[in-house]
Amino acid sequence: MKIEPPKLAQKLFDWYAGFAKVDDLRGDMDEWFYHNAKTKSISIARRIYWKQVLSLIFSYALRKRKRNSQSGIYSSNAISLSMIRNYIKVAMRNLYQYRYFTLLNAFGLAIGMSISLLLISMYGYISTSDNFHTNGDHIYTIISKKTEGFEEGNFASSPIVLAEKLKEEFNDAREVVRVNASFEGEVVREKENIHIHGYFVDQSFLSVFTFPILSGNMESALSKPNTVVLTESAAIKFFGSIDVVGKVIELKEQGSYEITGVLKDYSKNTHFKFEALVSYATLPPTQSLSIDQWTEYRDQFIYVLLKDSAPIKGLQSYLSQIEKNIYSNSSVKVNFSLLALDEIITSDLYNALGPKWETSGFIVFGAIALLILLPACFNYTNISIARALKRSKEIGLRKTMGGVKSQIFFQFITETVVICLISLVGACGLFLLMRDEFQSMLVEASVLDLSITLKTATLFVAFALLTGLMAGLFPAMYFAGLNPIEALKNKVSSRALSGMRIRKGLTIFQFALSFCFILSLIVFGRQYRTLLNFDFGFQKENIVNVNLQEVKPELLKTELEKLSVVQSVSLSSGSPGLSNSTTWVNTTDKDSVQVSQLFIDSDFLENFKLKLILGKNFPEAVSADERYCIVNEQFLINNKIALEDGVGRTLLVDSMEIQIIGVVKNFHYAPPQIPIGNFIFRNNPVYYTQANVLVDVSDVFGTFTMLENSWQKLSDNTKLEAAFFKDELNDSYQVYRLLLKMAGFLGLLAISISILGLLGMVVYTAENRVKEVSIRKVLGASAFGITMLLSRDYLKLIIWSIAIGIPLAIGIYETVFTRIPDYHANLTVLDVVLGAFGLISLGLITIASQTYKTALSNPADTLKTE
Amino acid sequence: MKVYLGELEELVLLTISVLGDNAYGVSIQQELESRCNRTISIGALHSTITRLEEKGFLKSWVGGATAERGGRSKRFYDITQAGKKALTEAKDLRDQLWDLSKIKLASR
Repeated sequence: MKIEPPKLAQKLFDWYAGFAKVDDLRGDMDEWFYHNAKTKSISIARRIYWKQVLSLIFSYALRKRKRNSQSGIYSSNAISLSMIRNYIKVAMRNLYQYRYFTLLNAFGLAIGMSISLLLISMYGYISTSDNFHTNGDHIYTIISKKTEGFEEGNFASSPIVLAEKLKEEFNDAREVVRVNASFEGEVVREKENIHIHGYFVDQSFLSVFTFPILSGNMESALSKPNTVVLTESAAIKFFGSIDVVGKVIELKEQGSYEITGVLKDYSKNTHFKFEALVSYATLPPTQSLSIDQWTEYRDQFIYVLLKDSAPIKGLQSYLSQIEKNIYSNSSVKVNFSLLALDEIITSDLYNALGPKWETSGFIVFGAIALLILLPACFNYTNISIARALKRSKEIGLRKTMGGVKSQIFFQFITETVVICLISLVGACGLFLLMRDEFQSMLVEASVLDLSITLKTATLFVAFALLTGLMAGLFPAMYFAGLNPIEALKNKVSSRALSGMRIRKGLTIFQFALSFCFILSLIVFGRQYRTLLNFDFGFQKENIVNVNLQEVKPELLKTELEKLSVVQSVSLSSGSPGLSNSTTWVNTTDKDSVQVSQLFIDSDFLENFKLKLILGKNFPEAVSADERYCIVNEQFLINNKIALEDGVGRTLLVDSMEIQIIGVVKNFHYAPPQIPIGNFIFRNNPVYYTQANVLVDVSDVFGTFTMLENSWQKLSDNTKLEAAFFKDELNDSYQVYRLLLKMAGFLGLLAISISILGLLGMVVYTAENRVKEVSIRKVLGASAFGITMLLSRDYLKLIIWSIAIGIPLAIGIYETVFTRIPDYHANLTVLDVVLGAFGLISLGLITIASQTYKTALSNPADTLKTE
Repeated sequence: MKVYLGELEELVLLTISVLGDNAYGVSIQQELESRCNRTISIGALHSTITRLEEKGFLKSWVGGATAERGGRSKRFYDITQAGKKALTEAKDLRDQLWDLSKIKLASR
């Protein structure tokens, strides 16, 4: 065996030591080895050598030498405060030097972050929901999952008998609170009735949940039947003061309640929403069969306050025991489970008590926010790397002077973070602009408070830092990894070019995304327009619908007809074109068929310009019993009755024999998406709910004043409820208006971000190719030719993105849009062409604005220094 | 005492001064082991030397490669003025304590 130190140990040592100066250490170890080999034995010498290698590898000495090898004696890895200050100072100078790019980047990131800020502030608000209850940690609600039987699904409510059983049998519960959400009514007042809603609750509600009481006795306020506790604002609404304890509140058709307490207005950030709490004892005791009690759980909620030490498992096993006992012989199967108080508001359950924010909605919103944020980050990455050429000298010099990788890395990360903080200011501005609009889009907006608090502000800053890290990580790593020699010799271009493909890919992706937004905007827009101008087959202009409330229909009609501005008045049970009721009709010789119906008087057809094609109108004289009806064409066709035979036939409707006296031309009695089917007009004054007033619209305000005055003559404790029929009709398409607005807004954001990204890249190329352009000009190229030359690459990108965007948009259309009910507008070739044209022209303007400027530059100025 | 001098640090410093011109890794380790009759790992020795260098008590230079070292150079160490001062301070402190202590050296 050759006498020499173990190779593997040497290799390990050299590998670990890297560039550190360890020659003397290796020499020492070799000396020891040969010494030991002579005095002891080779194997012992080898073993000692291994030991020494390991001992050195784990020693401070080698660590220190390695560190020294990385940096000059003046640099250190430790990040001190002064170093950070230096990073920030250098970052500021760099950002200032490249102002234009900084502005572009900051603007793009601000737009990208704005939507996320909405999400964050919303999340920040909702995550603190129901956290004001002092017992909150021990309160659980019981939810039911119906797995078999009618209406399967997850319900927030549960059978109320369960509460009684819990009270009797379960010892670990400190309190069991029953809540019934069906309390609703009209408070009778002198002038007008006011709607009130609230819950029937157990007395313990006030002690379990933390709703501070202003006046009244908290221990006994809700112990007796027909007692009610109002909230502060409800008390002011009904009585004008909060000093109302002892007073009586009278509800229409529900009797009167004694006010026993007033609650302080509670935070909106809770899953409860009530104006009044009524004692549970007010409800009549349940008398249904015992098994029915266990299947009935609409609007009934159970809350359990566990004893401090009690485990939640105990309650759970008790509940599963009950499930087994109760539902074993039933056709209905229900699973009970527990939900902690602070999780209620974000759970996705049917029949929820108050406002809810499903997690699924958050996920969709989050996806949209990411879809806007990511392109903005890509842009930053894109532009930063594209500028690597310009900054490579700076980095090369830093490295040569002893800058360590980590220092360069932190320098660039700091730069990004500073930009992100600047854009946070812009994003906050956008956030404030969007906030109200955003809230108006949400159903539960009234309970959402998106003002900036300390918590959300902290989240915002944390988010900006995170975005900075995300956007800056790749460029920072790229720059930190640059080889100083290559960087100083300006040879990095080859590596920058390899990144070019990714950059192109990112740009294409962004524009494809924008293209999809543009297309959906076009489709939604047309859908909305189509609906607004939809021909229902009746006239909808100038008709004011007046809600009858308690006024006698005939009285109102005569009163209104006296007015000069009113041309005609008809009475009906509802409006055509909106939803209406259905019934079953028997044509006497066949099975019954389902029909839609509307109750009208004799003036209705004339008012809405509906055409009778056969027979006659209802007689003008009002009769108590129903004798005639008018059907639509479709009814006759569907029931295979010849048109001529129609009039005079007798139908069996609601077990009454009614004769067809007329046939009306087909019209859309329901919203446009529902196809025209069987329809009958009936003539029964009992069902009238509104008067349809055809008015002169030259003076809308005057007309409404006159209507108001006539109304006051007939009813002194209610207000006139009137609205233009056309507005009511258009309001039913509000969802489209919202979608249109949303798609439009998101599209605008997406497009601005991609345009900014494109602009950055074009500016960069134009700057870099200034000399090439000058030489071409000197040699005789035209400005137009040069513009084309510079723009070509980018135009290609846009064309590519459209090529990718078209199948993407069609895919989205097929999977998402066609699932929206009552969908009408189609994606046509024209839409695609229009969208593509829009995108190309936008891109073209962006590109040309920069390239043309370069093309016009004076070659004498740019070539002077060569 | 401004700078704390550990027991091993003191020993290493003294050994280096004993070895004079020939103080390098192997010789220091051998000297220490033979005098103190205790083994000390090469890692621990060099860590101590590194710390002494950081404190400014030692200076070092590269020199003299020999064949038995595989032609690798040695790193020689010598005590700096600061090192001497630290050693003297340590000794003074001990002498004072010895003078004050009940154990009489002579009586041993």
